[in-house]
Amino acid sequence: MNSALWVSKTGLSAMDKQLNVVANNLANVSTTAFKKDRAVFEDLMYKTVRAPGGLSAQNAELPSGLQLGTGVKVGATQKDFSSGDYNMTDRQLDIAIQGKGFFQVVQPDGTMAYTRDGSFQLNSEGQIATSGGLVLEPGIQIDPNVLEIIVADDGVVSVRVSGETDPQEVGAINLAGFINPTGLNSIGQNLFTETNASGPPIVAAPGEDSLGSLGQGMLEASNVNSIEELVNMITTQRAYEMNSKVISSADGMMSFAIQQL
Amino acid sequence: MDKALYLAMSGGVQTMNAQAIHANNLANVNTTGFRSDFEQARAMQVYGDYYPSRVYAMTENPATRYTQGDMIQTDRNLDVAINGEGFITVYDENGQEAYTRAGDLQINAAGQLVTGRGLPVAGVGGPIFLPPVDNINIMADGSISVVPQGGAANEVAVINQIKLVNPDSQNIRKGQDGLIHTKNGEFLEPDLNVQLVSGFVEGSNVNAVEEMTHIMNLARRFEMNVKMMDTVSENGNASARILQRTA
Repeated sequence: MNSALWVSKTGLSAMDKQLNVVANNLANVSTTAFKKDRAVFEDLMYKTVRAPGGLSAQNAELPSGLQLGTGVKVGATQKDFSSGDYNMTDRQLDIAIQGKGFFQVVQPDGTMAYTRDGSFQLNSEGQIATSGGLVLEPGIQIDPNVLEIIVADDGVVSVRVSGETDPQEVGAINLAGFINPTGLNSIGQNLFTETNASGPPIVAAPGEDSLGSLGQGMLEASNVNSIEELVNMITTQRAYEMNSKVISSADGMMSFAIQQL
Repeated sequence: MDKALYLAMSGGVQTMNAQAIHANNLANVNTTGFRSDFEQARAMQVYGDYYPSRVYAMTENPATRYTQGDMIQTDRNLDVAINGEGFITVYDENGQEAYTRAGDLQINAAGQLVTGRGLPVAGVGGPIFLPPVDNINIMADGSISVVPQGGAANEVAVINQIKLVNPDSQNIRKGQDGLIHTKNGEFLEPDLNVQLVSGFVEGSNVNAVEEMTHIMNLARRFEMNVKMMDTVSENGNASARILQRTA
């Protein structure tokens, strides 16, 4: 059959995937600390029908060959870890990271997950946990009679108890960094897990090893630029339409041939 | 049998090949750094033991269009685009040097600078490995300056330089892997005049309207070939009828 049909089919499915990525970015335009994705397109292999420089006759060389491309695919989605805007919330347990680090949280199965979503809460046992209920690692216990929680730039958490003037240190928040954060595995709920591609986590106190310092009372917004995504959506839609036009044109050719012959 | 039938058929088949080239260009209308392929038909004599009376049409892709694509601003430090002519050198699957315009670079787990599809980027002194960095900047000549992890903002170190080349378009062609290779398999020398711009990627240089026009044109050309086959078939029928009547 006409290979143009299959080639433009790859175009349609690649544009469809790109639209998925754009839709997901736009859907998360208000998600705390969401990092946008970008679809990476690559052209598929070329099929060499006639190699350039081949012989067309005993003494005649073809000046150019015929290589038919077989289409396009989305080879990867690449997360863009540039930071989003910082929004002041003045809530004590809202913590933003200014830098490249991640908070470490313990998943129900005991393995570690990483997040930049710093909208923490206290669970029923007084531990600092994410809004999804995962406990921050190392665990920090806050007593019920605490008046104020103070998170310093370097991650030291101290509390002020009623009747006392000096704050008491109750723990410290550590951050984890990765050599290739793009290689992290997104598991939803603003969480990432380590992979072979991301490399092992480098754990340190905030401010060290350029993991970034903490800001209490603020949250990192999504880094999705809605205008950019809308423009991506339009170009994707047009590319989709053009590929479907090629399909109908190739289909027209085949149906004409079938009817005439 | 009337040889015109075979001639028209070959025209149709070659038109379909041409259609595939344009369909591939259009499918890659959003592919970073993609270079569109040309297609042309050439008269091709049929050689053999007999008198060379037949000439077929033959589709071939004589070249790839190397004009610059649109520059798309991304503000990402590791996105680089070439302003003007030239190519970024990468290592292909066989470890040989190949050339590309796709500058959506990233750093993999081993700290190596790779393209969006994972091919290692070649430096002037071999592959480019980066230490853990705070900040990375790629300058116009391809040199990579980094602030090492935990370093002060003024501790800038130049790590390596991306190998940028500017070959004569006569000596290069697109390979089966979609990368640009030299025709003779030789490595190219770095060209210091090639300019990189950071924070941009270069889009595809496919001209969508032009491709659509070609596709419509080719669809009609195919129909003409089919019509020709139909006419030949009618002629055959007619002569068969005449012969039946006289017999």
